[in-house]
Parts: sequence; C-alpha cells; structure tokens
Amino acid sequence: MFDEEGYRKLFVEESRENHENIVNNLLALESGEDQQTAIDEIFRSAHTLKGMSASMGFDAMEHLCHSMEDVFSLIRNGQREVTASLTDLLLTCTDTIEGMLDAIEAGGNPSDEQSGSLVQELRAFTEEESRDEPEASYEAAPPEPAGEGDCRPAYTLTVAIDPSSTMKDIRAMLLLQNLQEIGTILSTTPSQELLEDGKFDGPFEILIESGAGEDALRTVASGTEISLLDLSASQSPPAVSPGMNEEDRTPEQNLEPQTAVPSAQVQRVTKSEKSREIKNIRVDIQRLDRMMNLVEDLVINRGRLELIAKKHGIKEFDEALSMVGRSVSDLQNLMMGIRMMPLERIFNRLPRVVRDVANHDGKEVEFTIEGGETELDRSMMDGLSDPLLHIIRNAVNHGIETPEIRKTCGKPPKGSLRMTARRDKDNVIIEIEDDGAGIDPEKLRKKAVSKGLMTPEAAASAAKDDLVSLLFEPGFSTADTITDISGRGVGLDVVKKTIASLKGTIKVETEVGRGTKFELVLPPTMAIIDVMMVHINGMRCAIPVGNVVEVAQTKMEAIHRIGNSEAILLRDQTLPLHRLEDMFGRAEKSDTLVVLQNDGRRCCITVDTVDGQQEVVVKPLSRIAGNCRGISGITIPGDGDVVPVLDVNTMV
Amino acid sequence: MGRILIVDDTMFMRTLLKNILFSGGHDIVGEAADGAEALARYRELKPDLVTMDVVMPNVNGIEALKAIKASDPSAKVIMCTAVGQEQMVKLAVKSGARGYIVKPFQAPKVLEEVKNVLSA
Repeated sequence: MFDEEGYRKLFVEESRENHENIVNNLLALESGEDQQTAIDEIFRSAHTLKGMSASMGFDAMEHLCHSMEDVFSLIRNGQREVTASLTDLLLTCTDTIEGMLDAIEAGGNPSDEQSGSLVQELRAFTEEESRDEPEASYEAAPPEPAGEGDCRPAYTLTVAIDPSSTMKDIRAMLLLQNLQEIGTILSTTPSQELLEDGKFDGPFEILIESGAGEDALRTVASGTEISLLDLSASQSPPAVSPGMNEEDRTPEQNLEPQTAVPSAQVQRVTKSEKSREIKNIRVDIQRLDRMMNLVEDLVINRGRLELIAKKHGIKEFDEALSMVGRSVSDLQNLMMGIRMMPLERIFNRLPRVVRDVANHDGKEVEFTIEGGETELDRSMMDGLSDPLLHIIRNAVNHGIETPEIRKTCGKPPKGSLRMTARRDKDNVIIEIEDDGAGIDPEKLRKKAVSKGLMTPEAAASAAKDDLVSLLFEPGFSTADTITDISGRGVGLDVVKKTIASLKGTIKVETEVGRGTKFELVLPPTMAIIDVMMVHINGMRCAIPVGNVVEVAQTKMEAIHRIGNSEAILLRDQTLPLHRLEDMFGRAEKSDTLVVLQNDGRRCCITVDTVDGQQEVVVKPLSRIAGNCRGISGITIPGDGDVVPVLDVNTMV
Repeated sequence: MGRILIVDDTMFMRTLLKNILFSGGHDIVGEAADGAEALARYRELKPDLVTMDVVMPNVNGIEALKAIKASDPSAKVIMCTAVGQEQMVKLAVKSGARGYIVKPFQAPKVLEEVKNVLSA
C-alpha cells in the first residue's frame, strides 16, 4: 500500500512532466506551430495538475491550475486569443507552479501567497471574456418518440438529492436514466429539463410507469447521494407523451455515428500505446544508485574470487568463475546504460530561457536544438544544466544583435542559435553556435591590459586564441555593462570549472561579425574509467589514463632543484616534478616517471612501479572524508584494496 | 466485489484510485493510460466496472466510453470528473455512463458509487 511519501513522490514526478508540457506548448503556441494541439495539450496538462493537486490537498496549486484551465478552456473554444501578455502571464504561472513543486518535493505545502495575485489576474481574464458568451452547450438528446401505452402500474416517487452532492444536476440525470431502464417516466416536477440543469432545490417528484415492481424502483431510487422519501402507487392513467422510453435506452443508439470511435482505429492506436507502456517503467533514482553499488560490490568480489582461484589453481572453479565474470560484466554495462539519460531532460528548459532573454533585450532569435536524444550519465546532468544556461544566456545577451543592427550588417533580422549534441567514440560533444557579433579580439586585447592580465607588449603580440582563452579567466567579461540577464556574478570561469569537474573541456571559437561557437566535450560517464595502476612508496594508486602522457625511466641526476621545488628536463622540456610525499611518504627508489597532463599543462610524478592498465569503477569520497585535495575518488580493484584515484587537475 | 479496470493518464491518480478501491475489497484487474488503451484492455479483461477519466491524451474519456459501450452495451462505466466538467459528464451520461465520481476523490463516496453501480 502506498504511503503519503509515495504519493508525494509520484505526484511531483508526474506534475513536473505536466508542467514541462505546459511550458513547451506555450512556447510552441507563441512560435505559431500547430496551435490547436498546443492548446489542447496545455488544457489537458493544467487539468491533470489541478486534479492531482486537489487530491493531495495542495489548494494553492489547485486554484492556480484551475484558473489556467479556465483560460485555456476559453481559448480552446475560440473565445479568447493568445496574446504575448497572456503568454507572459501564463509563463509566470508555470514558474510559480515549478516553485510550488520544489516546495512540495521538499515536504511542504505551498500557500496562496505567491499564486493569489496570479489567480486574480487569470480570473479577470476569463470574466471579462465570458460576459457575453453563451454557455457551452452539450448536444441535447433528440426528441423521443412516444412510447406504446401498455397497462403497467404507475408510481410517484419523491426523491431528494444529498445537498453536499458536487453535481446534483448529473445525479438527477443519472437517476432518471436509471429509472428509464426499468420503466417509462411520465412526468417530473419540476420538469426533466430543469432537473437536468440543476435548477431545483429540495426534493422532487417523478411519475413513472413500470412493471418491475416496487422493490426494483426502491433500489434504483436509492443510489449514491440519492434518498427515496416516498414511493406510492399512482392513480393517474399513463400520460400520452412520455419523455423517453426504455427501448431508447440502449446506449449505442445514443452514439452519433461520426463521433463514435471506429474500433479499428482505436485498435491501431492501442498497439503503439501499449508498446510504449511496456517499454518504459519508472524507477526511483536512489534505487538505481543502490543497485549500481551492489553491482560494483559484485565486480569487486568477482576480482577477489579470481585471485583465490588463481592462488589455489582449481580449474573447474576457474571456469565457473569466468562465466560469472562475464555475467557480471554484462550486468555492469547494463547498469551503466540504465543510468544514462537523454540530454533532452536539460535541453527542454532552454527554449524558455532564450525566449525570455530575447524578449528582454528586444532581439529575435531562432533557437534550434539537435541531438537531444544523446545520452549522458544521470549524475552529470545536474552539473551541466547551469553552464549550458549561462552559455545560452550569453549568446542571446551578448552575441546576437538587435534586428536593426543585424539589418545594417546585411544579416537576417532574426538571429540563429543552434545547439547540437552528438556522441563520438569516447565523448559527448555539445556545440552552441550563434550567428551574432562574435567577440572582438581587439576589445579583448584592451581589456587584458586594463585588467592587468597581460602587459601591453604581450597583449599586442598575443595570438587570437590566447586572447579568446582569457574569457575563461576569473573576472573577465567582455560586456560593457553587466546586465541582469547574463551578469549574475558568474563568469565563464565558473562555467569552465564546472565543466572541468565533470571531467570535460570547453573551447570557444569566434569570428567578428560571424558569430561564436562553444564546444563542450564530456565523457559520457564518470563512474567507470580506464586507469593506470601504479605503486608509490609501496602503496597503490590509480591515475586516469586520459591524464597520462608517457612513462619514462630517469636518473636521479636529471632532477634539478628550482627554489623549493623540483623539475626535470625531459626531451627538451622542463617539467615540474611532484613526489607526492605528503600523500604517500618518501620513497626510497622511485626512478620511474609518469608524465601527466591536464588541459594542455603537464607535470610529472615519480612512482616505484607501473602495474598496468584496467577499467575501474570510481566511487566518490564519502562525505565523512570530505574534500581531499589531489584525490578525486577511490576505487576498489579485485583484491579488495581501497585505492585512491589521483586528481591530476589539482597537480598541474 | 467487482473486477475493475482503472483508466487515467496519470499513474498518480490510478494509484490513488487503486488504493481506495482495493481498500473496499475490489479487485483491480487492469489499468489503462488513455482511451484507446482502455478499449483494448476492456475487450481483453471484460471487467465488471470501468473508472474512466474524462480528459486524457489521444482518445479522451467520452470517446472511449462510447467505444466501450458500442462494443459491450452492458458495460458499466463510472466517469472520474472534476468541478467544471459538468457538460462533459452530462454528455458521458447520455452516452451511457452509469455514474461519476468527483476529484479530489473521497474514499467513502467512491466506494459507495462503485457499489451502487455494480449492484444495479
């Protein structure tokens, strides 16, 4: 059975999907895509959100969604146009809903505080519109033919509907319809029409002719929210023209041929819908993480078993173990696959950002996204969201020019912003390219000097690439003024740092007048990497293979002391030398050098021996251990040892 | 107690309803996420009763109700509705719906309606 927490989780999850659906369709609506579908989708999602939040008792959210639904109900009926100001209002509503969902996820119940004024605004919208609108009408049942007057007894029923009933008109309608099944209604007081419109207070009377007997009438007239106050045999003869008769009640006759769904069509839709249902299941992320941990334990223990088998030389055991090993490897790969998520999950939020920034700046931007299906490890998704947001904001804010400027440059007034994601052999590559003004190297040159990052001489002779790479230096911003859109105290230096923490790199290419392109290269997953295992002072240590340039033997004489540190001359290059003594203690004879690099910078360390290369699962350091400079995580190879993984980034 | 098919496009609502119906001793024989799936599941499972959401993607609740009633005139369908949808529900009643329940669901009311419709 589900508990409160279970409902809340499911509620948040499905509400977020619906929220996203509303945002995306609002944007689609604005861009003039398939209007009707977008309106229907928004209406449906708002309605779903309303129903779910009402069920959870989140009243503020229910009211807000209800008001949105009302607005879209009018739009759907063609009684209201979608204007830019309405879209803005609705987008503000979606922001509020998102905030509410965050609060709900954190265990709260949002108040009307934020949403109250929005509800008012939406209401003003619907009321103003609906004043002279006729009420939406449903198709009235066609006039019924007169029944054959037979000699069944007639009864007068006095019935009351529970005053707490939410839809007493429908309750009355259902009652009349159920009575029609066992008899013929001759008349009602008030009239059937008034009853079905809910225009009645207190009990009402039904004169019915039925051969089913009093008991049957009692049963039917005592349904949900209905109480039978009185049932008496009526003396009055059957009326001439009954409202409906029971032969008409077969429901398929009520079906309009054109509105009934042809079953063949339904079946076809069913097939694809069904396969969707089977293909996807929801799994809690934490469960997935726990499962991943178990798989990792399995990998580690398989390694231990292999060592034992080797030690004792049992052939049969060895064979069985290799079978187990294969299954474990498959399982591990499968789990890695399950952790992958399409980039769409974060890309979907970006069109909204582009729209807002473009509107704010009076710019026109065509934003296209390609390759949203490219997958990335779930754990990296969160980290990637902010850098992308920042780059996109920058591109619209600083890159793309206003339509007027663009026209004078001979460009189309609408700027283009393209984001593409793809997977190459080892990496996921995300490119963000605009056709804006580009970054002027001369401006960079001046700024570099004024910020004291370069001497005037160095700046004058600096290559364009070096100047552009200054963008990633802390505090370096090319915009003349800091805006409230891009300049949120976060610079490209933070973007670069974040990408680096995801083991990725970022590059920028720019051409004055032509535009700017950012390229992000990321490993698809951080959990499993190839490492080189080495011994330092008798202790094992793993180095990510991506950071290793070469392994060399050297004589102690080649090591030079420069101030407090050591360096080594290797192939005409002077490389700083680290002995990692503070981590592993001083080694007696470490004459093997490993040259490391990160982001173009190199250094080397001394090790006792190089043991080989292997694929390992990297686990983050536990929170108890805290941040450990120089160590990016730990791994547990087959023998059960805990081996630190070097963080080369902090060494070079 | 009845064998019931639950039709709603959100797992949240299906779960909620499932638990209410289960607590009333009913047997939930299946679930469907939209109208098209509802008809297929109905034909396959032949439940005693269907709870049908009105607003759903692809094929909505009214269309699904009509299709189910066309395939089995004796089908018992209860509409799951919300305030503001009276016109839709009236249309559903005219199309053969036997009852309705209103969101947010109140367990006693849901169970009462289900019981009444099943016994009718």
